[in-house]
Amino acid sequence: MEKLKEKSIELIIIYKRKQLCLGFFETSRNILENVDINFIKVYYKVINALGGIPMKKIWLIMTTLVLSITLIGCNNQEEEGVYSLATWAAGTELSELQEIVDEVNEEAEGEFEIKINSIPSNYYQQIAVLMGARQAPDMFWLTQEIVPKYAHDLGALADISDNLEDSEKLNLDDYYEGVIESTYYDGSYWGLPWISNPLVVYYNQDLFDQAGVEAPSETDDWDWNEFIDKAEALTGETNHNGDDVYGTVIDGWPNLETFLWSGGGDVIADDYETIVLDSEASINGLDNLHEMITKGITPRYGIVDSLGGNNVWFERQQAAMFMGGVQDDFEEKIERMDEEDKFELGYAPMPTNLDGSKSSFNWTASTVLHKSNEDDPLAYEAMEALTLKIFDWKIAPPVKDSTDKIIDSNPDKEAMIPTIEHTLQFARSGHYIPEWDGTSGINDRLWYDLYLQMLRDEDFDYVSAAEDIADFSRDLIGERE
Amino acid sequence: MKRSRVGFLFILPWLIGLILFTTFPLIAALFIGFTDWNIAGNANWVGFDNYIELFGEDAFWNAMWVTFRYAIVAIPMTTITALVVAIVLAKDMRGAGIFRVIFYMPAVVSGAAVAIIFKWILDANFGLLNGFLELFGINGPDWLGDPSWVFPSYLILALWGAGSGLFIFLAAIKDIPRSLYESAIIDGASVFQQATRITMPLVTPIIFYSLVMGIIGAFRKFTDAFILGGAGDQGEFVMVYLYDLAFADYQMGKATALAWILFMIILTLTVILNVSKKYWVHTE
Repeated sequence: MEKLKEKSIELIIIYKRKQLCLGFFETSRNILENVDINFIKVYYKVINALGGIPMKKIWLIMTTLVLSITLIGCNNQEEEGVYSLATWAAGTELSELQEIVDEVNEEAEGEFEIKINSIPSNYYQQIAVLMGARQAPDMFWLTQEIVPKYAHDLGALADISDNLEDSEKLNLDDYYEGVIESTYYDGSYWGLPWISNPLVVYYNQDLFDQAGVEAPSETDDWDWNEFIDKAEALTGETNHNGDDVYGTVIDGWPNLETFLWSGGGDVIADDYETIVLDSEASINGLDNLHEMITKGITPRYGIVDSLGGNNVWFERQQAAMFMGGVQDDFEEKIERMDEEDKFELGYAPMPTNLDGSKSSFNWTASTVLHKSNEDDPLAYEAMEALTLKIFDWKIAPPVKDSTDKIIDSNPDKEAMIPTIEHTLQFARSGHYIPEWDGTSGINDRLWYDLYLQMLRDEDFDYVSAAEDIADFSRDLIGERE
Repeated sequence: MKRSRVGFLFILPWLIGLILFTTFPLIAALFIGFTDWNIAGNANWVGFDNYIELFGEDAFWNAMWVTFRYAIVAIPMTTITALVVAIVLAKDMRGAGIFRVIFYMPAVVSGAAVAIIFKWILDANFGLLNGFLELFGINGPDWLGDPSWVFPSYLILALWGAGSGLFIFLAAIKDIPRSLYESAIIDGASVFQQATRITMPLVTPIIFYSLVMGIIGAFRKFTDAFILGGAGDQGEFVMVYLYDLAFADYQMGKATALAWILFMIILTLTVILNVSKKYWVHTE
């Protein structure tokens, strides 16, 4: 057997001398030196037997193999009624989703079947690759700001407006207006939102009591001036560990839209076309943000990460207020703390904007249908059944009269319900357009050239920067084909 | 004849892989570069539009500037560093083995891990580098956050990894016959003369190799640039820009056009270097 092995290696060396395909010979030699000798024996016999085949036939074999592999790779035959769902869920979230999908499949009684394709990292890149390979998932999850790009630029989404209007199980009226708008673009609806995560203000009641500052109400309106006044009064207090306390923490979160809205402005108007970033109202909003930074009610941008994240400042009682989503699990974290580190948690809606309007940024995600399923009512039915089931799982469900489900799935959040119910009435996402996302998109410019600079430099000329980005955004829209 | 057929059958699996996964994508990429393919939809023929658009974009010229500037400074810097250290280590002085290990260590760490570590080292507030500078009363810059310090940050990273080329130089220097040095010493040559008249000419093939690999490496720079980034687009190397075009902006046509431009640049530089070889590379 050893002789056989030696012969194989020798053969390879002969061909190597002929300078043929260096990489292959190196690999083959490595394999031959390491693999099971029985495998080599079989392999060598097969090759030797095939050695009698004329060269023309070998070329034919090769061509057939190449074509076969290509055709197998291109094969995208789908089983009827079986739909793939791409998700970023992983770990526990994936197991829970699998249970939900199993239930949906069972209830469908064979009419359709959903199969999960978990893509926990590089989600959007993987979706792009799958689409490029003509293997796009039938359904997939998208966050709100990406929807217009996929719908308009890529033409990858099915327009579900008619289905949504006709359905008796789930239609437009069931959703909060601000939530369903997150899948609206160019006169159509492109997905079914399954989660709504509006911003509220979490506050530390103990620190408010210590500073003698009146805490905000869980549902009554309060405005940004009050927010800043309270934050200023709380800043400079010392917590139970002797650490300095800040009124709040701003480090790129909350997002810029929150502050633009605070002045009554926005990046893009509700016609999804007009850029209003440099309007007087938007500049008022930026003034508001600038005031918070310069008054020192938030730790400097550069030191926020020193504790491991903005939420940690609140958890360690070094920030008295935190603008966070419903999914921030401070209740559970406080429960697990040592007795001396625990504090009383309070909730308030986001402050009313300076022009009297109300808003709260609402992070939403939707399930969308791939364009190839646009004319398949069964695919929509499957997506709808899945979405309805997810409402019992994720908090907060994006549909009206469903806050009871939050208590069922997350009893810790019971005290928060009045604030969530109040906030969901006016919570909304941004008016996103296809040019929002991407490396040369509006969002990148807003962060790198405006928000980040404001956080880093108190003297930064944010008005000029906003005007520049507004012009840049108008140019982008103007370049649309 | 049978022996050659057997040989051909041996390489057949690899040949199929080559055709499927190298040749075919290469041809496909050439074609895609002339289309407006956005990954999701159909590809429409747009001729040279992608190339024309790229040449008209500030982002393209920024990526070219970032990459060329890095190549012009980093390649000679790392090559000279590796060569000088190799000459010193070739002396077989006490502890040379330890230094060889220390210098080579960066070469065995994965690019992603290095980038993540350097993100911490270069952190403006808590970074090791600024902490060190503070010992001397120097207020360190915001390395990756200030556009004017992004380029020096990448040079520091390049210098740190210079050890990977060091061993090729060391092997070449060790390969020089001792008799040449002995003859030179008899003729009264100084250490400096030995280095410039014997060592340097005989390692020019390695310098040539190092330059070619350095150019290819600089234009393919991705992992650390992708992780580290850099303010003001100063970390936007060509490959990062290409990746962004393809997978963030979904402009696959333009991205593949850029890949071909990149290929042509590398090819041109390599050819120029190859032509210049006869003027400065010593051959037996």
